[in-house]
Amino acid sequence: MTAPITPPLVRMQSLHKSYGPAMQVLKGLDIEMQPGERLVVIGPSGGGKSTLLRVMMGLEKIDRGSITFGGKPYISSDGLDKKTNIDTEVRRSIGMVFQHYTLFPHLNVVENLILAPCKVRKERKSDATERAVGLLTRFGLAAKAKAYPAQLSGGQKQRVAIARALMLDPKLMLFDEVTSALDPELVAEVEQVILQLAAQKMPMMIVTHDMWFAKNIASRVIFCAGGVVVEDGPPEQVLGSPKEERTRDFIDRVFHIRQ
Amino acid sequence: MNYSFDFQSISFAPLWEGLMVTLELTAAANIIGIVGGFLLALLIMSPIAVIRLPAMLFVEFFRCTPAIVQIVWFFYCVPMLFNVFLGSMTMGILALGFNLMAFNAEAYRASIQAVFREQIDAGIALGLNPFQRILYIVLPTAFRASIPVLLTNGIGIFQQSALVAIVAVQDLMYQGKTLATETYRPIETFTVVALIYFAVSFPVTQIVGYLERRRQLLMS
Repeated sequence: MTAPITPPLVRMQSLHKSYGPAMQVLKGLDIEMQPGERLVVIGPSGGGKSTLLRVMMGLEKIDRGSITFGGKPYISSDGLDKKTNIDTEVRRSIGMVFQHYTLFPHLNVVENLILAPCKVRKERKSDATERAVGLLTRFGLAAKAKAYPAQLSGGQKQRVAIARALMLDPKLMLFDEVTSALDPELVAEVEQVILQLAAQKMPMMIVTHDMWFAKNIASRVIFCAGGVVVEDGPPEQVLGSPKEERTRDFIDRVFHIRQ
Repeated sequence: MNYSFDFQSISFAPLWEGLMVTLELTAAANIIGIVGGFLLALLIMSPIAVIRLPAMLFVEFFRCTPAIVQIVWFFYCVPMLFNVFLGSMTMGILALGFNLMAFNAEAYRASIQAVFREQIDAGIALGLNPFQRILYIVLPTAFRASIPVLLTNGIGIFQQSALVAIVAVQDLMYQGKTLATETYRPIETFTVVALIYFAVSFPVTQIVGYLERRRQLLMS
């Protein structure tokens, strides 16, 4: 057996998570993600997709299992006590964008971007502002630098949220249904930004209901249902000609786009 | 009705003086209410019961008894129980201020707890520690959200302050009562007094309405 030259970026082992005894959301999830991969997670509501990302971000405790990040232990719980160990240092190398715009309403766009760099990394305000303006320019938002979130469209807010996460130079980006709350005509501008990041080889984990987007962005697709991975493979397989019955049902019923 | 109104005999000087006292009471009570109410809100959200329960009792006492009873109680019982008498103006300020503190604490608590879960999640995802999340996200958002209620409560205290006239604070109401007795013109006097209260309160309620409409727009 040959050892891989680089460790997997993410290794999730036997993740268990429940909300109370009746609601088991993750039932022993094993996922490995290599550096440079863009993982799209699809599946029915309640199948554990969003929980998976929230666990990865360290927002939810787990009942049992472990995650390593870049070969380093990140999250673990042995299931004996109710404790979940999270390495917050490791967590800082992960960025996340949420379904609802989570911009801080009392701060303008630039202030939203530089809050964490200044407070967490103790970066100088002038340096952070310069980087922020650079990012905003790249995303076509330079004119909105001084605007408040309430003055932005949904698509603009979501692009700002992406820029805000990028300010901390994440090694992995998590996108949790980031276009689900948007008006249809605003979806493309957000997806363009994510595709732009993909072109720069940013590793990402994406939960989405948008199959066109999934097909375009994914290097690998995971179909998740009932708290386990049902199918895992390249996008042409999982979206185009799924091997598993349940995946096929899902693709047929919900998206009607099986080619 | 053959009553003939006579506003000529109403002299405005004492009413003006009274209004100044009323505004002073209102301002001082609001300082206590806005600052103290915030601290009280932190106490009633404490996970430690020994801190939380007395604070909740304080809030509920002021919310569940008539303000006039609180004021009378303050004036007669506090000096006797604690052997302190601070002058009627100070006592009036404290009575009104504590009342406002209780109501404002509830306003703060409601808006702190209404800060969206996702906002806090975003703070975690950005690496802010719990203290930084409270300081930079929860409190500024919550404070802004509670401004309309703080203004409404504050102008409520402006009106409630008329109650301290019964314990000899020489506010607008007290001056009105005196004037009515002196001039035998209670209808005219209290009409003018009511109009003065209205003239101050009405613009504030309009501002509150404007802020609330604007906020709904911002949140949509």
